[in-house]
Amino acid sequence: MNARWLRLFWRQVDVQLRIRTFDPYSLLLFFLQPAIFSGVGMVLSRAAGQAQPDLVYTVIGGGMLGMWSGLVFTSTFDITRDRRDGTLELIVASPTSLAMVEAVRTFTNVVAGLASMAAAVAAAVFLFDYPLASVDLPGALVSLGMIVFGMWSIGVFLANFPVWSRITGSYVEFLEIPVALVCGFMYPIGILPGWMQAISTAIPIRWALEALDTALLGTGGIEYYLRQWGMALALSLLFWGLAHWLGLKIHDRIRVSGEMSAI
Amino acid sequence: MKHCAIDVKNLQKVFTTRIGFWSRKTKTTMAVEDISFQVQEGELFGLLGPNGAGKTTTVKILSTILLPTAGSVSVLGMDVVSDTRAVRERIGFTFGGARGLYGRLSGRDNLRYFAELYGLEPALSRQRIPELLELVGLAGRSGDRVETYSSGMQQRLHLARALLHDPELVYLDEPTVGIDPVGARELRRTIKGLVACGKTVLLTTHYMAEAEELCDRIAIIDKGRLMALDTPAALKKRITGDTLFEIEMKAEDLPALQGQLDSLNGRLSLEVTDSYPNKKVSIRTAQPERVMQLLSPFLSEQRIQGLEVHPHTLEDVYVSIVQGESS
Repeated sequence: MNARWLRLFWRQVDVQLRIRTFDPYSLLLFFLQPAIFSGVGMVLSRAAGQAQPDLVYTVIGGGMLGMWSGLVFTSTFDITRDRRDGTLELIVASPTSLAMVEAVRTFTNVVAGLASMAAAVAAAVFLFDYPLASVDLPGALVSLGMIVFGMWSIGVFLANFPVWSRITGSYVEFLEIPVALVCGFMYPIGILPGWMQAISTAIPIRWALEALDTALLGTGGIEYYLRQWGMALALSLLFWGLAHWLGLKIHDRIRVSGEMSAI
Repeated sequence: MKHCAIDVKNLQKVFTTRIGFWSRKTKTTMAVEDISFQVQEGELFGLLGPNGAGKTTTVKILSTILLPTAGSVSVLGMDVVSDTRAVRERIGFTFGGARGLYGRLSGRDNLRYFAELYGLEPALSRQRIPELLELVGLAGRSGDRVETYSSGMQQRLHLARALLHDPELVYLDEPTVGIDPVGARELRRTIKGLVACGKTVLLTTHYMAEAEELCDRIAIIDKGRLMALDTPAALKKRITGDTLFEIEMKAEDLPALQGQLDSLNGRLSLEVTDSYPNKKVSIRTAQPERVMQLLSPFLSEQRIQGLEVHPHTLEDVYVSIVQGESS
């Protein structure tokens, strides 16, 4: 990455943080929604007689939901807002590719979503006295990195749809809950029917999340981690490839349809 | 020797939309039917036409935002379809209205962001942004959020954005829409300055006086077709209608004037009304030069208190062409 791209990267992150991430709507998505899910889960755990909340599915699941919802809604709304404000045409007609701009924006959204995870873990430790002594920290951090990379790749792939048209963009938002369901954000994936588990094998987040859950419990071996991370990485790269291919197709398509300025 | 900055040949743009949910129907809209024109380097070229004439679609094709359905478009010697990126690096454009800026960022930050999109080096960016803010009169408000700007200020910021990377060719789509008369005059002065610096400008506007004041040549388009293309003066000569003279003079001088005008053998219409303490004479004629000759003795003898001549304006030409087409 040369200096020019690095500067563009930071400028885009700066702009994205100021116009989107610190928007009240985004803050609700990143903090309030996961806090509600985690809080309800923790209260239910206590009510069920558990002294501590289930760290993996209640706490981390809430944080994951916050990251994922934030990514889906902010990434689609970014494009919708650009179309409405007339800036989508300006970005497309600049020498920088829309794909580059989208990649940085989505990265910013995913990284900002880590705040959800941090808030959920902080709540577990400070409000519910959850001990982290058994956590495999390196395994958890690498798995979290894989989750970020996987979400980033899916976000860039999905961001093409609202560029394509307003209608396809609105369908992307319907993916929020189904993906959370099939990836087992808040429960073990083994309880799902076989066909739902089969769908989740194509989603990189599922593999990285399983590795994270295992690392938090401190029960994973290196072979297990390598398989999970390898699957997450390969599927993420596949999504990057699909995103690139779709991006090129859509760039030409919107220049034919004039969808960029349709409001 | 000047080169061709824009070469448009038989441009056509058709939009296809699909409507209906169960039974999908296709609707086609011919936005640009057949337009050809050339713009020379350093020229200020105007594109006039009513709403929906195809002006903005044409500008968007020239800006690489839209792909043409048929025909060819060459910008600075490059094809807008195959040399997209190279074209984008050398053109600047603005679209009318307040859209196209990030309202939650300051004017300066909007320019910084677009400077990165255009790959400006930091040192150049630090030099250009204050210069441009000064040029468009926004230096004092550059740190304020754009959402607090008036529409005129936003228009001026658009112009600064379009000029960030010092493009050779600038498209200005209705740049003075929503700007007060003083601001519009300032902006027109800035546009003239761009041409004086050697830039080529393509301007679309609804304001005829603006086009007449600024443009070297004007193309009038309607319903996606080119209706006329010439200099403002040559376009005005196409009109063969009457010129109106309005004269104020004393009642006792009126018979002498009527006697003089009789030599035109009725090739005028004359109407006299009271304009206390004088008379007001309205003359409509297709021979304004001859009428002027006949009036000159009255002017030199100071027997005319007031004279107004209403020659053809570009608006007359525009209305004549557009209404002629619709009828």
